[in-house]
Amino acid sequence: MSLLSTRTTSKETPLVKNRRTRVIAVLMALIGIFTVFVFGWGSESRAHSSLTFTPLNLTNAPWHLGSLTVVTRWTDVVLGLVMIAAAAEVFVRQPRRAVMARFGGVAILFLLALLFWAARSPGPSPVSSVNITTILVGSSAAAMVLIFGSLSGVMCERAGVVNIAIEGQFIGGAFLGSMIVSTTHDFFFAAIAGAVAGALIGLVLAFLSLRYRSDQIIVGVVLVTMLSSLSSYLNLQVLTPFPNFNTGNLAPNLAIPLLSKIPIIGPVFFNQSGFFYLMIVLVAAVSFALFKTRYGLHVRAVGEHPRAAATVGINVIRVRYINVVLGGAIAGLGGVAFMATQGQFQVGYTSGWGYIALAALIFGRWRPSGAVVASIIFGLSVYLSYELVTYQVPVSIYILQMIPYLITIAVVAGLIGRVRAPAADGQPYLRD
Amino acid sequence: MQLELRGITKRFGSFTANDQISLKVEPGQIHSLLGENGAGKSTLMNVLFGLLRPDEGEILIDGVVAPIADSGEAVRRGIGMVHQHFMLVPVFSVTENVVLGFEPTKSFDRVDYRRATEDIERLSQQFHLDVDPDAIVENLPVGLQQRVEILKALSHDAELLILDEPTAVLTPQEIDSLMAIMRSLAAAGKSILFITHKLKEVKAVADVITVIRQGHVVGTAEPSASESELASMMVGRNVQLTVEKSPFNPGAEVLEVRDLVVLGDRGLVAVDGVSIDVRAGEVMALAGVQGNGQTEFVEALVGMRPVLSGTITLHGRDITNLTPRQALDAGLGHIPEDRQRDGLVLSMSVADNLVLNTPRRAPFARHGTRDLAAVNDNAVRLVHDFDIRTTSIQGPASSLSGGNQQKVIVARELSRPLEFLIASQPTRGLDVGSIEYVHRQIIEHRNHGNGSLIVSSELDEVLALGDRIAVMYEGKISGVVDPSVSRESIGLLMTGHTSETASV
Amino acid sequence: MSEVTAAPPRPSLWVRYTSSSPIVVTVFALVLGLVVGALIIITTTPAVLDAWRAIFHGWDGVPHALNVTFNNVGAAYRSMFTGSIVDPQGFWHSLVTGKGWTNTLTPISETFTYATPLVIVSIGVGIAFQTGLFNIGANGQAVIGGISGTVVGSMLHMPTILHLPLTLLAGIAGGMICGAVPGVLKAYTGAHEVIVTLMFNYVAYAFLLFMVLSTPFQQPGQQNDISRTMDPSAQLAPLFGSSSGLRVSFGVFVAALVVAFAWWLLNRSSLGFDFRVTGANPSAARASGINARSVIVVAFLISGGLAGLAGVVQVASTTHYIDGGFLIGNAGIGFTAITVALLGRNKPMGIVWAALLFAALGVGGRNMQAATGIPLDLATVIQSVIVLFVATPVLVKEIFRLRGVSTASVQLATTGWGS
Repeated sequence: MSLLSTRTTSKETPLVKNRRTRVIAVLMALIGIFTVFVFGWGSESRAHSSLTFTPLNLTNAPWHLGSLTVVTRWTDVVLGLVMIAAAAEVFVRQPRRAVMARFGGVAILFLLALLFWAARSPGPSPVSSVNITTILVGSSAAAMVLIFGSLSGVMCERAGVVNIAIEGQFIGGAFLGSMIVSTTHDFFFAAIAGAVAGALIGLVLAFLSLRYRSDQIIVGVVLVTMLSSLSSYLNLQVLTPFPNFNTGNLAPNLAIPLLSKIPIIGPVFFNQSGFFYLMIVLVAAVSFALFKTRYGLHVRAVGEHPRAAATVGINVIRVRYINVVLGGAIAGLGGVAFMATQGQFQVGYTSGWGYIALAALIFGRWRPSGAVVASIIFGLSVYLSYELVTYQVPVSIYILQMIPYLITIAVVAGLIGRVRAPAADGQPYLRD
Repeated sequence: MQLELRGITKRFGSFTANDQISLKVEPGQIHSLLGENGAGKSTLMNVLFGLLRPDEGEILIDGVVAPIADSGEAVRRGIGMVHQHFMLVPVFSVTENVVLGFEPTKSFDRVDYRRATEDIERLSQQFHLDVDPDAIVENLPVGLQQRVEILKALSHDAELLILDEPTAVLTPQEIDSLMAIMRSLAAAGKSILFITHKLKEVKAVADVITVIRQGHVVGTAEPSASESELASMMVGRNVQLTVEKSPFNPGAEVLEVRDLVVLGDRGLVAVDGVSIDVRAGEVMALAGVQGNGQTEFVEALVGMRPVLSGTITLHGRDITNLTPRQALDAGLGHIPEDRQRDGLVLSMSVADNLVLNTPRRAPFARHGTRDLAAVNDNAVRLVHDFDIRTTSIQGPASSLSGGNQQKVIVARELSRPLEFLIASQPTRGLDVGSIEYVHRQIIEHRNHGNGSLIVSSELDEVLALGDRIAVMYEGKISGVVDPSVSRESIGLLMTGHTSETASV
Repeated sequence: MSEVTAAPPRPSLWVRYTSSSPIVVTVFALVLGLVVGALIIITTTPAVLDAWRAIFHGWDGVPHALNVTFNNVGAAYRSMFTGSIVDPQGFWHSLVTGKGWTNTLTPISETFTYATPLVIVSIGVGIAFQTGLFNIGANGQAVIGGISGTVVGSMLHMPTILHLPLTLLAGIAGGMICGAVPGVLKAYTGAHEVIVTLMFNYVAYAFLLFMVLSTPFQQPGQQNDISRTMDPSAQLAPLFGSSSGLRVSFGVFVAALVVAFAWWLLNRSSLGFDFRVTGANPSAARASGINARSVIVVAFLISGGLAGLAGVVQVASTTHYIDGGFLIGNAGIGFTAITVALLGRNKPMGIVWAALLFAALGVGGRNMQAATGIPLDLATVIQSVIVLFVATPVLVKEIFRLRGVSTASVQLATTGWGS
């Protein structure tokens, strides 16, 4: 059908400007106005905010960036005006690409303005400075987990299978990972166990949806329910009576010599746990495999037009099996990585991150690089929603905790229709 | 390559799609497989290409038995297929599509795109295909996409090419150039199996013709055989391609369309300033190669697609930019192009499908509650009146044959009071009996003094039904002609040659 | 020449019986669920594992190990049954002596108490499914409905005849507001309802914690996450009087009304016809004049409203207050509702039976945890396994070698994330 309708010639330009773009622009403008008046005008005229860059645990680092103090009101007013300018640009120029990237930028500026406002001094906050490096390091942990999840989604959905069970794979990976690291005290084995757990869940999803063509979303959702209740069951039945199985551990940071000493960048990128470096390797590997290799070409063909792939001898079902299982393994690793940032397994603590990862995948247009950018934005908002509590913002922590989920809804609502999923995503493949 | 099929039989449940089919294709020969829709041509090709397993019979290549387990094996044995619905990934480049499954690689499993591109350019030149390897397939016109399919088969060293209904989506001029390509391929020693139901093309290009009907080979013919000879072999009786009509007696103008502009799915102009009038008692046939804006035009008429500018009036009343509901209420009947997608809910009962667009209306519902007795009475009546073959009106629409599914839609539309009938591709994929039936119903509707617009890409249908014929090309009406004009001049209009002299 | 072809062999009674209806698949799925549950018990209960470990010292340990296995699994399932349906011994005792009826009837009363809101919310999910919409946010909608209902029930004061209906309506309104968001976003921006409703669950939890810890709504004098208590005039009274000791409440009539409404809506109403056409074939729905946007929004309003009603019924018939653990995690009826709707094939009466079954599993699970120490989460695992099999009828057929069973599967028109 789409093949036929493309016959209409492409010399004309679109005559209708996209109304959706304007809605997003208005949303951006509202955020900017809110920033100007609440955070800017709302701060006392003499209040200052200070930015620091040295993480607390690295005060003896060989370098020192001094702190930067700004007038809160004017800084936030300027940030708000920048947002409004961006909104105006989107409204007037109607750029065809990267609208959502601008929206993401506005979201980040908003969070920054919020921080300045929260940490103003004199003010209600006991913490008087914003430590950029600490925030970035803290967010990178959340972003890392989301990247594992969305990378898993890229693997599955590029091959045409919706993996909504990422949340379940997180749980499975975290549970098994904690058990293994508690008994072997070695994150290597924990990572392997978590990957296997995720892969097995992926295998069940693949088996039911590929062999029996069950609805992928239903199977995924039920798998998540099953995994979360199973983990709760095992927690009471096994981990509670045998606490030695869940002593857990925090993954140690592996500082890379020299590079880890670079201001800001060092702590964020070069003084992280092995899972972080593994994540970077996986992002590179998945990008390379998907867009440069023969196998990746097959995967993308299977996700776009499985019948065409089948006619040139590609085994559609096998490619999907492989990708769903590998994707499951990646999400399982994400579960272990999550556990390794929390110290041990707890029931229900993934609290929907698997689903946020799915949104990051859509935001990232089914590309590994896009998923990374989206995960960083979501990671920042997740981290800050918890971090703001220490600033004693006069807003309930529970309201703050809604932020990442609301941002996810806004992004997904603003996005769909302007991104294109793999054409066969979610559809069962019938061989005649 | 010499290919021989011996006694191929393929059954689906109790239905035998192919029954003991045997035929032989010689090297350098264009062998035409002629049969109407549903005769079993596509099944046979899918067997040959390894997409289906035959229940009986064997395939011989150059005299040796060569079982074909899957399409990969078919390709390795030198069989290439150009599918009716192209097997191309729309978002991939030409190169990616052509090399898919047979990629030259470098280290680390990387695809060697440079080598691939060079190969494609070489082949493209050798056979005068003239395709840009870096173009994205979805941006290419259909004719070029088809060449990409041919290129794909050639790049896999195909010695035998199967072309499955290759002309269905092409303009007459594109068909000519396809035939030239076919001849040059045959001259280069390639064998070609050309599947079609169009008699003229067979006569123009084939060396040998095998006719199949209802899964059987009914005989072979020489290209010199007359069209009516071939046609009667195809359908097993003499075919009446024309429909008996009462004399043309047009009344007042019913539907007026002025300067209509409509966008397509991708935001590009699909209908570009179309103006058309249809009078009472007239069938206006809208001809043209598929994809020239007819679909969007009809969707705009029935309220399924917004009108950017221009007006539509029905009996002098402005009906531009109505919702589909309002368009239905205004008295527009619509037989949609894709009946299974837009016309029926296959999982619901025949009775429900017969009231699909009037469920809220008396007598079928009162105060928001449906009257199922009235729905059933209506179904019993229409099943009888329109000769819908079904075992039960409560059975799902999916259990009906394609012809009977179409009858359900025709019955539903023609049984309610209509001001105007719009039918898109009303007989696509139907057997001859159903085609005649649907044509008679449309003409009867016309004979009662109603106006209709029939959109069809089948020239025969257009000529049989139309009192006047409008031809659409790239979103514009390239001409409105009388059905008595030659096929060639309509063909010229279909390629955009506007002709003042041709218009009435 | 042509002989009369031999008639196909008449299928055995077993085959004819087992192929008669899709219920067969459900029954076998239930069996498989219990088998998987038993395997989980066996592999995670120390006593059972110890008994099997003993066989490494000699084969004579096998009978003992089998014995322990059957005892443990048997005890678990027996306590599930007696805790949710009836304890046969107690039943005979009551029948003979005429005493102890409260104890005898408590399990079944609890099952109905649990099933009442579950039926309501599952019908909401089922109506959405029939419209081709996946409402995974029913739990959040039920939470919001519970909050808004409890606010009206505890902070306004008026006679029962006004208060109870107003309380229930407040719950419906809360759920509707919550359901309107994914409905409107789906209809007007194409945002996939799965993601939006999922995210809204977490928003609803956060809102719940905010509410039960904030001044006007929090129980005065309390520091804990607990709300005010509903006035008696807003509560759904026990069906057999508060002296009966049985919790089953007038909520069952609310549920019955909802079932009747849903039956009419889906089978007899024009609106329900539009829903089903939209769910089965959105393109045909559009072509036949159905306004897809309004169908999506209205279906989500009904679905969310019913979820909200379930939330307030849950509060008004059991605790009468709401706390931070309301419908949290796997105990959330809104999540169970997805599986119930699938098991009941989105049909009102099917959902009633499925809800009773899952309520029995849930209530029985509580009793099992109390009696044997096996965590009640096992019940949710069993429920998930049942639904996985119901969603995969062909697999059930293969496992049990059934032939000819209707394999109509529950299927959404999942078309990926596009609009």
